[in-house]
Amino acid sequence: MIDPPRVELWAILPVLILFGGAVIALVGSAFARRADQAPFVFLTLAALAAAAASALWLWNREPTTALEGMVSVDRLAVVATLTLCGVGAFGAYLGYHYFERDELRRNEFYALLLFALGGMALLVAAADLIVVFLAIEVLSLSLYVLTALTFRRGPTEASLKYFLLGAFASAFLLYGVAISYGAVATTSIQGLARGLAGTTGDQSLAIAGALLIVVGLGFKVSLVPFHMWAPDVYQGAPSPVTAFMSAATKVAVFVALIRVLHVAFVGLQWDLGPAIAALSAASMVVGSVLAMAQTDVKRLLAYSSVAQAGYILSAFVAPDRDGIAAALFYVVSYAAAVIGAFGVVMLVSGGVREQTGFERFRGLGRRRPGLSALLTIFLLSLAGIPPTAGFVAKVFVLGAATRAGYWPLVLIGALAGVVGAFYYLRIVALMAMREPEGDDVADPSPLPRLVLAVPAAAVVVLGIVPGVIVPVLREAGVLTW
Amino acid sequence: MIDLIGLAIAIPLVAAGVNMLVGARLGRYAGWLATGAMAASFAIALGALLDLLSLPAGDRTQVVTVAEWIRAGAATVTLDLRVDPLSITMAMVVTGVGSLIHLYAIGYMEHDPRPGRFFGYMNLFCAFMLALVLANDFVLLYLGWEGVGLCSYLLIGFWSDRPEAASAAKKAFITTRVGDVMLLLGLFAIWIHFGSFDFDTVLGAEGSLPEIATGTATAISLLMLGGAVGKSAQLPLHVWLPDAMAGPTPVSALIHAATMVTAGVYLVVRTHVLFEISEIALTVVAVIGLAGALYAGFASLGQYDMKRALAYSTMSQLGFMFLAAGLGFSAVAISLLVAHAFYKALLFLTSGNVMHGLHDEIDVRRLGGLVRDMPWTAALFAVGALALSGLPPFSGYFTKDAILELASHDGEVWAYVLGSLGALVSAWYIARLFFTAFIGDRRYEGRAHEASTLMRAPLVVLAIGALFAGMWLALTPDGRLATFLEPVVGTVAEGHAGPSAQVLVAISVVLTLLGIAIAWRLYRPAAAERWISFPEREPGLAGALGHAFYIDDLYAWIVGTVGLRGAAALEGFDRIVVDGAVNGVGRLAVRLSGLAPIWQSGKVRRYALSFLAGGVALLVFAVVRV
Amino acid sequence: MDAPWLTLVIVSPLAGLPVLLLWRSISDEAARWVGLAAALAAFAVSIGMLANFQTGEAGFQLVSKHPWVESVGLTWFLGVDGFSVWLVMVTTFMFPIAIAASWKVDHQVRRYMAMALFLETVILGAFLSLDLLLFFLFFEALLFPMYYIIGVWGSKRRIYAATKFLLYTMFGSAFLLVGILWLYIESGNQLGKATFDLTVLEQVRLSTEAGRWLFLAFFVGFAVKVPVWPLHTWLPDAHTEAPTKGSVVLAAILLKTGPYGMLRFNLDLFPEASRYFADAIMVLAVVGIIYGAIVAMMQRDIKRLIAYSSVSHMGLIVLGIFAFSAESMDGAVLQMVNHGLSTGMLFLVFGMLYERTHTREISDLGGIVQITPWLAGAYVVAMFSSIGLPGLNNFVGEFLVLLGTFSVDRVLASIAILGVILSAIYMLWSYQRTFQGPAKERWGTLRDLSWREGAIVAPIVVAMLWIGLQPGPMLERLRPTSELVSERIRTVQVGEAVEPLARTSGAGEEGP
Repeated sequence: MIDPPRVELWAILPVLILFGGAVIALVGSAFARRADQAPFVFLTLAALAAAAASALWLWNREPTTALEGMVSVDRLAVVATLTLCGVGAFGAYLGYHYFERDELRRNEFYALLLFALGGMALLVAAADLIVVFLAIEVLSLSLYVLTALTFRRGPTEASLKYFLLGAFASAFLLYGVAISYGAVATTSIQGLARGLAGTTGDQSLAIAGALLIVVGLGFKVSLVPFHMWAPDVYQGAPSPVTAFMSAATKVAVFVALIRVLHVAFVGLQWDLGPAIAALSAASMVVGSVLAMAQTDVKRLLAYSSVAQAGYILSAFVAPDRDGIAAALFYVVSYAAAVIGAFGVVMLVSGGVREQTGFERFRGLGRRRPGLSALLTIFLLSLAGIPPTAGFVAKVFVLGAATRAGYWPLVLIGALAGVVGAFYYLRIVALMAMREPEGDDVADPSPLPRLVLAVPAAAVVVLGIVPGVIVPVLREAGVLTW
Repeated sequence: MIDLIGLAIAIPLVAAGVNMLVGARLGRYAGWLATGAMAASFAIALGALLDLLSLPAGDRTQVVTVAEWIRAGAATVTLDLRVDPLSITMAMVVTGVGSLIHLYAIGYMEHDPRPGRFFGYMNLFCAFMLALVLANDFVLLYLGWEGVGLCSYLLIGFWSDRPEAASAAKKAFITTRVGDVMLLLGLFAIWIHFGSFDFDTVLGAEGSLPEIATGTATAISLLMLGGAVGKSAQLPLHVWLPDAMAGPTPVSALIHAATMVTAGVYLVVRTHVLFEISEIALTVVAVIGLAGALYAGFASLGQYDMKRALAYSTMSQLGFMFLAAGLGFSAVAISLLVAHAFYKALLFLTSGNVMHGLHDEIDVRRLGGLVRDMPWTAALFAVGALALSGLPPFSGYFTKDAILELASHDGEVWAYVLGSLGALVSAWYIARLFFTAFIGDRRYEGRAHEASTLMRAPLVVLAIGALFAGMWLALTPDGRLATFLEPVVGTVAEGHAGPSAQVLVAISVVLTLLGIAIAWRLYRPAAAERWISFPEREPGLAGALGHAFYIDDLYAWIVGTVGLRGAAALEGFDRIVVDGAVNGVGRLAVRLSGLAPIWQSGKVRRYALSFLAGGVALLVFAVVRV
Repeated sequence: MDAPWLTLVIVSPLAGLPVLLLWRSISDEAARWVGLAAALAAFAVSIGMLANFQTGEAGFQLVSKHPWVESVGLTWFLGVDGFSVWLVMVTTFMFPIAIAASWKVDHQVRRYMAMALFLETVILGAFLSLDLLLFFLFFEALLFPMYYIIGVWGSKRRIYAATKFLLYTMFGSAFLLVGILWLYIESGNQLGKATFDLTVLEQVRLSTEAGRWLFLAFFVGFAVKVPVWPLHTWLPDAHTEAPTKGSVVLAAILLKTGPYGMLRFNLDLFPEASRYFADAIMVLAVVGIIYGAIVAMMQRDIKRLIAYSSVSHMGLIVLGIFAFSAESMDGAVLQMVNHGLSTGMLFLVFGMLYERTHTREISDLGGIVQITPWLAGAYVVAMFSSIGLPGLNNFVGEFLVLLGTFSVDRVLASIAILGVILSAIYMLWSYQRTFQGPAKERWGTLRDLSWREGAIVAPIVVAMLWIGLQPGPMLERLRPTSELVSERIRTVQVGEAVEPLARTSGAGEEGP
């Protein structure tokens, strides 16, 4: 007589809501392929709102795991889910505007978006490496399709590359999970933590497993040397997708990394530290340096996202809640800045046959002060220049790294920041300090600018009073059951 | 009146401000305003002098508290003024001669478009000069010191559209600044040693020598001598003075003859106690003075430009002052300073008359016979010349020759002999100027018009001073001025070596007449062709004299060639190496970045390969980690 | 009157921002007036601050301290002492002048003014912060507005210059950031609670080695800003390409954040290291003095020449700081203000000439003095101020620096004093070539100073004379601080542990 597994669906309510919305959207789009997409947007936003609400409802739950220890119910998940919903909302709106502008009907976009978000919401709550793997697969598949959504040549090629390398990465991830299981005989994150805490002696196996998992996840956040897909895919994918992908994926995957490195393999922190630091340094340096020569804004931002991933990772060498809070703060501010940046790029790029070369941005400040001001704010934040969130975030993560004693890493990060300033401000210079040429094809409609003003405001507010979310993030950083 | 001495500075200062700001509106009255200011300042100085004389010789050193200037750390600097026999004597010269020259300048500058500025600068100069001589604090003295340098710069370059004037102004300021820097270092040394810049603390009350090691005293004295040499255009910093003649003539008379250039002498005399502690310092002063006296005397013989000749003459006379100070006859140095102020100002202003009357013609080769067109000027110049040549009973005799006499009595034979040679040359070059410029037949076109009454009146006063000041100041048992100065500069120790006074008088008269005779032999009207064509016949000698033995040219080469080349090299180093390194780093980074496409080729297999490499690297790390 | 003066000073320039940012259709003229009004308001407030400044007090005054980001120990901690009070004053004094001087800016006036005001705020913040992170925040925040002003309103090679300025200074502050974080963590390890509070960090005991490394990290950060030779090459480009106002602010104020940082942080936090490195730094400073002067001599572009003269003058300031004598330190602080006035005015007046001639090439100019005597006169005043003529402001500072240095190191002082000669050479020579000589007829039509321009220049001249003749009021307010610091530094022995600085006041006065 075996008692049936307890099914605590409430624990994954946000995920269920998102998947539910996705299914509805999918069915709807199947029946109304050419219908106006407005209802789909509202559906999506509604789903996101509901998911966010349910996540909030989970905030005060006693931290625990549910579904046989498959998912964790804690504030980290809540915070991450809320962020994801926010990002998703902007992604949805941008997509809507993007397709609307060219009278493209791609209503499956919303379904895929929600599927991806569902996967991400699951990922951030995952309490078991198996779930991590599944969630990764779900969100990846949706992203592959989203990338190719316009069926144009560029996007399709990008999507294919992304898919092939993604499969490659998944293999690493799965292999890592397997090895870790081999080492500690469990795939449960807490189980790993406990197991490793007990064992003494050689732990090479566990370390290898951990590192392979890091590789698999590192691919998603485009850490060097697993980053090479990023430029092609970011450039190829439709801008709204790029915006959503670059922001949301990093949020979700880094939260997963927090669970993996700060919980599962926390016992190995001193062994893993150098490797993490190396990856981080490599990403910061390579990403920054390679971004310098780019003359396509999307591609430039792609390389910059490599460097940004490096910065976030630098907080992981400090295995404490301050480190987690720092990483979270960075992730949030990065998400706000990057979705805004790609949003502006989308508006400037002029339609689905996107032209995002530098020449499109030349003299934008004279022609479209509003747009260029928005992009300037986002770029300043990415460059980490006060008074923007990016500055505070950099100080936080580098501070965490310093606490862990990795001050060479800190110096590298600080210096890479100088290089970063170079290419980010190159765009600012392009917009503000040069005369416009050619005719103005940037999107004239005012609503998108209003929408994008929200992340801009967020970036500035977080830059001046980071205190508004830091306590929350520190709460989220408590990962002890 | 002593307490009001500050006004003697303030009044010209205010007048200067007015003239510089609204002088354009004042027009001709600018000059009268400036002259009036100087007269007022003269009156105050005179009043102070009388008050001082009414006091017993013992307490003729009055310090007027004005204000504190700088206080930082342990250093304190005050703006207090010192009224004592020495400073008031200097003040009298500055304000007295100054007023006359201002008056003269009204006429001289009547055609100038910007009298306001000119007289503003002149007044400003006098204010700074008075600050210099009345200061009771080395730093305030330095303020005056630099201030007169500024005005000298502004006034030499007053006609700055003339390139030579602009260059001369710059040259004067920079050359004297070399000396000023030494003076500043001297001030620092004084502060290190005495912990104060205050005259009383540093120089000690009368009689008592300051507590200081000889070595330190030597160092301080020589540094200050450096400053003095720069301001007083003595070797080796003399090169700016002849060029400075590019300025308006009243400027040459006031700044580069009567007052500013004598500041060096004043400084040495003022700090004589420090010099006297160190034998070396005194000797250096004497040697520099004597050398300058001879050098400039001969250089003057080679000049055809009247003002340049007079400039070298000034340098020569200053040399005599330094000689006196170096031999310890401070009082005599000051009396020569006073007398020289009169007759040299006179000489300059008369040559100014010539320029004024002959639209700026000043080359003696194109003058001659002026006596007919400008009898007044000629007569006045003659007076000045006689005074300078040192014929008794004129000023020069009682001052310049007094130095030689004292030197002889002290047994300083070398000083006496060489000094006498200098005296002979003085008579020679000044007579030369008179003969070549004023007598003989005209070598200029048209008629020179005699100076206006307004320009003659001050000259007459100066002439009287030139003739009799020396006598009046000296003709008492041990010299009236000397007694007056005694509390400050100490007594002039009269030795009894060498021949008797009468013999020396005879010798000096003979030498002077000899000098004049030589001049007549060479430059008498009949010989005009000979001396005008002299350079063709004797290029070497004429060149050496004309170029003052090429010292100036040597400096020009060092600064203009060596210095500029070096600076250019350094500038290139900065541009190519230092900045090049910076830009190089930037370019290198961009280059590296440009390499991306080589690997980032869009080929998935390569992506996978590097992916794999990374993964493997991590695994290797996992296994072989230490 | 009791008010949060320092906070008010910092935010007062921002008063103009809402108007400038929100009111899109504001006319250029109105925008100018808004900018000027806000800057003047800041000046007025700073006067209030000065009035409440206690003379004779060595420690921090008018302290306001409010927790900002509790969790990381970032506090809004402001305080003013003898070092900063006059820097604040010169900032608020020069900004209205600089804004008025850029009346002729004709495009994007609204943004120009907004950037100017933002820049003023962050500079004031940098001078007043006693929290290292807060300081660093302001220190970094002033990069972008300056970059923007140079890049947008500058002349031909403006983007190159702006980028160079930004990257070079960021390069320096990268090390500064590492240093600050290191110290922050160390404070956490030693005192339990990590903090950026300067007055607390002074209590942190560092090993000799750590102190020296941190000193270097901080020093590099500030040395680039000063700039200390050989980190100076961004300066000529930035100065030259910047619009007049940019050059003025850059020279007059922005450079001062460098020596100020050394004075405030290096000396306070790492006294042992300061002594240890003092000789080397003094040598660098002297090299900078001579080198800058000589290179200035050879410039063909007036603004470049003035820029290199700044290198020379800033070298003197650094020399004064690291001579550690009370006199030289007083002189150095005074010199920060003086250099701001004199070099600021040089750029200002030359900017006025540039508006007329549109050339910076010395060889193109000449004979200006006959045509525009007043403009030339103003230039002469600024020139002699920067040459260090007694009676004008610079002399007092230079005199004290050299005097104090001389009492410490005769040789270096004697070399440094050559700068006095060299400055006369390059200044007078360039003046001769630009203003004197025969007038060129192409400049025959130049206007002389307008009343507006006269009104801009006059206050600076007054300030110069005032400081030159009565520096007392300034010196007596900064003397106690410099004496406290120099006393402490001079008691330190190289290689020995250091007693934490005992402040007479300032620390711990919590705000409401």
